[in-house]
Amino acid sequence: MVRKNVLELSINGDSQEIACTPNTTLLEALRDKALLTGTKRGCDTGSCGACTVLLDGEAVLACLTLAVEAEGCDICTIEGLADKGKLSPVQEAFVEHGAIQCGFCSPGFIMTTTALLNEIASPGREEIRKNLAGNLCRCTGYVKVIEAVEAAVGKKAGGEK
Amino acid sequence: MHLPIFTYQQPADFAGVVAALTEASEAKLLAGGTDLLVNMKHRIETPGTLVSLKKVAHMRDVSTEGDATVIGAATTLKDIRQNSELKRKFPALVQAAMAVGSYRHQAMGTLGGNLCQNTRCRFFNQSWQWRQARSLCFKVGGEDCHVVGKKHTCFSTYSGDVAPALLVLDAFLRITGPHGHREASLSGLYSGKGQSPLTLGRGEFVNAVVIPGEAAQGKSRYEKFSIRGSIDFPIVGAAVWQGAGKVRVAYTGVDRAPVRAAELEAELAGRELTDALLESAAPLAAKAAKIAPTSVHPVSFKRELMGVLFEKALRAIS
Repeated sequence: MVRKNVLELSINGDSQEIACTPNTTLLEALRDKALLTGTKRGCDTGSCGACTVLLDGEAVLACLTLAVEAEGCDICTIEGLADKGKLSPVQEAFVEHGAIQCGFCSPGFIMTTTALLNEIASPGREEIRKNLAGNLCRCTGYVKVIEAVEAAVGKKAGGEK
Repeated sequence: MHLPIFTYQQPADFAGVVAALTEASEAKLLAGGTDLLVNMKHRIETPGTLVSLKKVAHMRDVSTEGDATVIGAATTLKDIRQNSELKRKFPALVQAAMAVGSYRHQAMGTLGGNLCQNTRCRFFNQSWQWRQARSLCFKVGGEDCHVVGKKHTCFSTYSGDVAPALLVLDAFLRITGPHGHREASLSGLYSGKGQSPLTLGRGEFVNAVVIPGEAAQGKSRYEKFSIRGSIDFPIVGAAVWQGAGKVRVAYTGVDRAPVRAAELEAELAGRELTDALLESAAPLAAKAAKIAPTSVHPVSFKRELMGVLFEKALRAIS
């Protein structure tokens, strides 16, 4: 019998005890155990970016991260971005610029963008395109997504949090 | 896709890693997981034990020893990308790190993991369900190579971006194992056999990469051709280094290991690098490799690409 370990995961500032076997991915722990389904399962093999979360501020693929490896880290999911109901500048920009159609890829895009703008304050268009290239979208054709990211750069430069 | 069941170990130091790798019957190192965990989901690798490098000290250090640069094997590709000293001294290394996968792969993936990644083939890197349509290939325990139509051979292709950059920088490795520490050439890490691409012994692991000071005296560049501009492995990747009258050229995506283009290098050594010379020498690049059709591109296309990327890279730094 494979025994479960009880992990203490810090998710969006809250500590949660999650019992899982070592082969449980962070994506499975978030969706199936913590019931945070904002992070999506797309390809499940790291090619689509839909499962992107922040681990100690770094954008990572939850489908290729073991839950046990996330213990001791600050995990931030899409559910944790808004501050007391106020959307983050990145979330607002995506809403305002029509960058969300079916919404399935959007959490991944927003989390990647959040990490990117924390690393590079004012990326140019090509830098945005290159760094978001790991997030796939079947609906939008990407134009509105790139415009939303550029707008988010402006919002953050204007001091919005 | 669920991962198969395994035992997970999280050692705190090098001795713990060696012990964990040696004691388990089938153990693999877990660094970023961006190669291994995908293969495990596809059931083409099913180690019984994963040995995590997460808590092992000093594996993410970047330091100097005299004029040499030492990079811990668990240094992430993003760490490399953000290191201004590495960018200044070894542009090809940073360019190669930035060419790997996506933004997330670079945050998770490590230098050692990229060097030690498994070889790839369009018949091998597929899900368990996909592979049921034909007999098991030799690399996963069957008899057949579906690429070349022979038995008991494997032509899977080494496809890491960083290796050719480090080859032209003349980098070498520090390896730890049951018999202690040793240094080894980077080219010596690769067996040239598709079924078991690495020469590491049982219990051994790469703990650091060392780049000699001489490498910083020249100019270097990495050029990659892939199907898409991001995410994808290289169809062909070429690295060049130029300095002190010498040119070093290495490739990925063209053989079962990364290769140096010895004949091409010999043709260029000590000579003025005119356009005419580069154009006439470029076809020699393809002699460095035994290309198999493991991707969807024809072999002839990849041969030509080797010359094209070599010229593009060398012109960029000359």
